[in-house]
Amino acid sequence: MIKSNLDLKLLEKCAGCGACYSICPSCVIIPGYDPREVIKDILAGEFDKWLDSKHIWQCLECHYCLEMCYQHYGFENAMTALRTIATKRGKYPPQVKRGWDMFAKSSRLGEPAMPARKKFGLPEPKASGKDEFLKLHELVLKAREAEAKKTGTDRG
Amino acid sequence: MKDFAVFWGCTIQARFPFLEKSSRIVFEDFELPYKEIDGFTCCPEKSLIDNVDHEMFVVTAARNVALADEKGIDIVSPCTGCVSNLATVKGELESNPKEKETVNNLLKEIGREFDGSAKLSHLVPFFHDSVGVHKIKQTIKKNFEGMKISAHYGCHMIRPSHALRNDDPIDPVKYDNLIRALGAEAVETDTKLMCCGQGLDRVDQHDNALHMARMKLKELIAAGADALTVCCPSCFLQFDNNQFLMMREGEKLGLPVIYFTELLGLALGHTAEELGLTAHRVSAEPFLKKWAALTGDNQTEINDGLNAVGEL
Ligand code: SF4
Ligand code: SF4
Repeated sequence: MIKSNLDLKLLEKCAGCGACYSICPSCVIIPGYDPREVIKDILAGEFDKWLDSKHIWQCLECHYCLEMCYQHYGFENAMTALRTIATKRGKYPPQVKRGWDMFAKSSRLGEPAMPARKKFGLPEPKASGKDEFLKLHELVLKAREAEAKKTGTDRG
Repeated sequence: MKDFAVFWGCTIQARFPFLEKSSRIVFEDFELPYKEIDGFTCCPEKSLIDNVDHEMFVVTAARNVALADEKGIDIVSPCTGCVSNLATVKGELESNPKEKETVNNLLKEIGREFDGSAKLSHLVPFFHDSVGVHKIKQTIKKNFEGMKISAHYGCHMIRPSHALRNDDPIDPVKYDNLIRALGAEAVETDTKLMCCGQGLDRVDQHDNALHMARMKLKELIAAGADALTVCCPSCFLQFDNNQFLMMREGEKLGLPVIYFTELLGLALGHTAEELGLTAHRVSAEPFLKKWAALTGDNQTEINDGLNAVGEL
């Protein structure tokens, strides 16, 4: 699975580089946050131990490493890959779960605040695409199921 | 100028409707051809949705872009996250025809098609490039001469640059140019490019989020800034709401956080009340008072009840 999420060749170069460590805000600010360690473990095939770690959620997805990286790759990709695997195994911070559930149910992460809109004299908000979105979600799940049956693998 | 649909995003409409208010005011004053269309959903938000299900992240964003595509209009958003997420997916599909085909096969079943013809812009680069600094200077009625304002671009206004192409991703200038166009001094800081840190609140790491907000606020206060300006609801939440929470615990902060549309609205002659600045958690009053003194304005313009409706 990690191989389908990551380009290990690029990551190998990354392991020997480390240049973006000093500009990564989380590396500088959060004790114990160090994607270099994570990348080493990914390359050694021992990333499992990071799936429960809060550190993989401390990447801010600020894309700074990506922009500074001579490979235009970045720490970020390693952290994102581990978060994706962690969520597939049901390991995520409660707020992420709440956010996802609200999204899947309503197509949004919050509904327009009607009383406040009135106070500010704002017009009726436009309709959301909820129904179409729910249908689309169903189609995606169905297609995934069909694909899983065909290949005999669970793409999760 | 081509017509554009405003993509408000979930956060502005759910938590900060006053930011919608000031955006509408500046759109009207500049007579911009903005449209509102039915059918938008969450962009979707990357850290919550993409981490859980990349495919849903992609098809949802593609569907949103398709709504503008089929009307032949562009998209402009006052939220950096929305633009960045939509643009990331647009870029992914444009560079991967096979994935685009798969996505369009799904969209076809709900009667949509993504072609990516809609141009996606964030409000700040949009004002800089499409409205233009010259036009802004001509249109404003008051300027901020004597005021020191620092821009927090917000990561997703400028990165990832391969998808956005809004500004230089590590040395951006457009927001600063706009501050100068409004007559203020654009304060440069070491934390200019640092992420606001609000993302940490979304993954239950509140203390780390506060720590990052504090770093920037302290630097700006030490630099003598009169205000921090942002144009992202997530950054606004971080610097306004989280600053308020730290102040409630006794920390000495109190730097006004002014949305780009509010700053522009003030320069266009609108009052703080009209623009909804009264709804901020951290009072904008020190900024407004200093400005009123500099411009010789009658201070009665600033309502005593300022900050009275901050419980949104
Ligand atoms: S994207 Fe993540 S790893 Fe990269 S610089 Fe930002 S916080 Fe650090
Ligand atoms: S992400 Fe790029 S710049 Fe950073 S350590 Fe890896 S290879 Fe080097």
